[in-house]
Amino acid sequence: MMRVTLAVKPRKKPLLPIEAECIVPKTFLSGEAVYVWRGNKELPLDEVFSVTIEGTADRTEDVEIFISGDTSRIKRIGEYLDAGRIVIEGDIGMHCGNFMSGGTIEIGGDADGWLGREMRGGTIICRGNAADYCAAGYRGGRKGMTGGKVEVFGNTGDFLAEHLAGGTVIVHGDAGDMAGIEMHSGSLTIEGSCSRPCGNMAGGTCVVHGTAHEMLPTFRKIGPTTLEGMPFTSFTGDIANRGKGNLIVRDYTYMD
Amino acid sequence: MSEMLIKNAFVIDPLNGINGEVMDIAIRDGKIVEAVGDAAEVIDARRNLTLPGGVDSHTHICGTKVNFGRYMSPEDMRAGRTPRRGHMHATSGYSVPTTYGNSYRYSAMGYTTLLEGAMAPLEARHTHEEFSYTPLQDTMANALFDGNWSVLEAVRDGDTKRVAAVIAWVLSAVKGFAVKLTNPGGTEAWGWGENVDCIQKPIANFEVSPAEIIRTIVEANELLHLPHSVHLHCNNLGKPGNYTCTMGTFGLIPDLNKKRQTLYATHVQYHAYGGSGWNDFCSKSEPIANMVNMRPQIAIDMGQVMFGKTTTMTADGPMEFNLYRLHHDKWSNHDVELETGSGIIPVLYRRKNLVNSVMWAIGLELALLVDDPWRCLLTTDNPNGAPFVRYPEIIALLMSKRYREEELATVHPDTEHRVPLPAIDRELDWHDIAVMTRAAQAKALGIVDIGKGHLAPGADADVAIYPIRVDETDPSVDYRRVIDAFSRTEYTIKRGRVVCRSGECVVDGNNTTIWVKPKVSPEYDMGKDPDFIRKFDRYYTVRMRNYPVQDEYLKRNLCIETEAEL
Repeated sequence: MMRVTLAVKPRKKPLLPIEAECIVPKTFLSGEAVYVWRGNKELPLDEVFSVTIEGTADRTEDVEIFISGDTSRIKRIGEYLDAGRIVIEGDIGMHCGNFMSGGTIEIGGDADGWLGREMRGGTIICRGNAADYCAAGYRGGRKGMTGGKVEVFGNTGDFLAEHLAGGTVIVHGDAGDMAGIEMHSGSLTIEGSCSRPCGNMAGGTCVVHGTAHEMLPTFRKIGPTTLEGMPFTSFTGDIANRGKGNLIVRDYTYMD
Repeated sequence: MSEMLIKNAFVIDPLNGINGEVMDIAIRDGKIVEAVGDAAEVIDARRNLTLPGGVDSHTHICGTKVNFGRYMSPEDMRAGRTPRRGHMHATSGYSVPTTYGNSYRYSAMGYTTLLEGAMAPLEARHTHEEFSYTPLQDTMANALFDGNWSVLEAVRDGDTKRVAAVIAWVLSAVKGFAVKLTNPGGTEAWGWGENVDCIQKPIANFEVSPAEIIRTIVEANELLHLPHSVHLHCNNLGKPGNYTCTMGTFGLIPDLNKKRQTLYATHVQYHAYGGSGWNDFCSKSEPIANMVNMRPQIAIDMGQVMFGKTTTMTADGPMEFNLYRLHHDKWSNHDVELETGSGIIPVLYRRKNLVNSVMWAIGLELALLVDDPWRCLLTTDNPNGAPFVRYPEIIALLMSKRYREEELATVHPDTEHRVPLPAIDRELDWHDIAVMTRAAQAKALGIVDIGKGHLAPGADADVAIYPIRVDETDPSVDYRRVIDAFSRTEYTIKRGRVVCRSGECVVDGNNTTIWVKPKVSPEYDMGKDPDFIRKFDRYYTVRMRNYPVQDEYLKRNLCIETEAEL
């Protein structure tokens, strides 16, 4: 096992974002010098972090990265992660786990926007809240997340799981507006409430355990159903897009 | 005074009857000359294929429509990204790249002159602004007249001279190069939610038929003695069975000009469809090619479709709406006041799709069945059929039957029953390719006299040296080498200096915008015509004095003045 510990050094201007797409297990396996970007300046990794590496590993799967300190403005950690494990003690900046295809990312605090964008596989666990576009696609793209699992224990912002095309997304708190918009397939579970879920969905399943506020009128009501012994209402749609998705909600309100 | 000598060049220069001669090319101050002194910079072409700089007579690289394609497809900007390097700016985009992206990629392929196929006159400023950031090619733009109210009214009144006068005024006002007609009448009808079916039925409000519009504008174009002919995108684009309409349109065209064609029919691939619907969709390239063979007044370009992602953009708004209803993806639609409209949608041409496979075959068939390469030009209607970076593959397909067979084996299996392509044995040679990609394009555009498309003394020193030895390459077998060679020149020389070396652009560049100014007598000066002025005041959102493109939009430019018969 190789254990890499990265502790963020105190920064003079902590609001300046740092782009650190290199922080993935395979980088440390190769043993090459590692650089991160701050604005247009390329800095060696140890200028930003105190780096400790214990043990050795032959395979990416055996590498663990622990990151502590103020990481809320560090972006793109775990981009293209394919194996291994990254544990973040506190909050994490935008685009964490972009395009990851395997491995695990655990976040102790909150995640900023685009957590697990266009994810292909692997697992992300966020113990705090996630901001907008969690597990979503990107501007103009037709396919968002296509595989893997994202689990958020807090709340999420707007556009949760936009363009979801596979995989599983579970939110234990509330989601914001337009959750599951443009969903093609995959499964989205919201334990709390959300508003206007699943606009333009074509397929897949979304379950809202709380209230779906401002339900879209373009979903055809199928009727009552039960999930784990609780009464739910099932809808299909979005019929405005000839869609055949399943939207199952505990409770719903239409816009006044 | 700057001098350059290209030594040991294996030259094919069709306009001057040179077909594979090893010679030296001397350049002084941006022009080809007979000889230069000993102090000249020397480039050794090492007997590599050397051609005049490439000319693209129909592409969409600049202007509001292209820019809206960029807005609409942020995902396209994630492809084709290159960082800033030396003299090259950062670029991004694949089917609708940034202006620098277009310019660098064209330059790497040896292209030095480009024609933007469709510019809405009212929005001409944007096109000219983007031209100034397309630094490595000389540029020109066709102005759209398909739905121009003043033109339509003059056509209705049977007043060909007034049509010519309006065209003359607009072309010089917006610094355009030639007349473009896109689905004539149809785009105006689309403003009212309608379209035209073929060419005989009149459109509402003006009571003129597409046939009348086309015939009158073709005649008006010759009255103005414009360098280029009318540039026509026929009616009924992309509809099964539309080849009859295309044949009817070609039949309308008289032979009016001894120097060049009277009609340039663009992306004819999209207009050569048989069948009554998508189920019995098939190729009708044979009758279309026969028609072109019989009528020397017509030149066409292929509009070749290549498989993959791209963005379609055209002033043919109703056609794009039909396409949107097939694809159910993004769609944008635009109306340009009294002039024209447009539509944009992204598409993915798939090998597994029968219709797409047939479309792919038709473009190649047209190029192979039209006997005279001078009258069938190599284009994709970039980016409608495919981005222009696919040209090398098209060249290889035309030169190698074996490559065509390999590709045919990967497309939809029913394709071979619907197209004549498998039965065509013709393989084009290097000379044909040189004709289709530069000489014939320059001739069709009427820019040979200003020094484009050839290498005789006096011509612009636009030269492309490709890393391939013609005498050592059998293109029907080594088609991969052909693709590689045409993808990246060894040297692209523009106006006497090396602008691109092995794909790397080495100067900032400075292009020339070419435009025309027909001289008409005072009585046909529309700028003083009370009816025309009233139309501006009443209907346009701009005043007439604000309409012309100011000179500051044109940096280096070349104005071709013509003496009109008005």
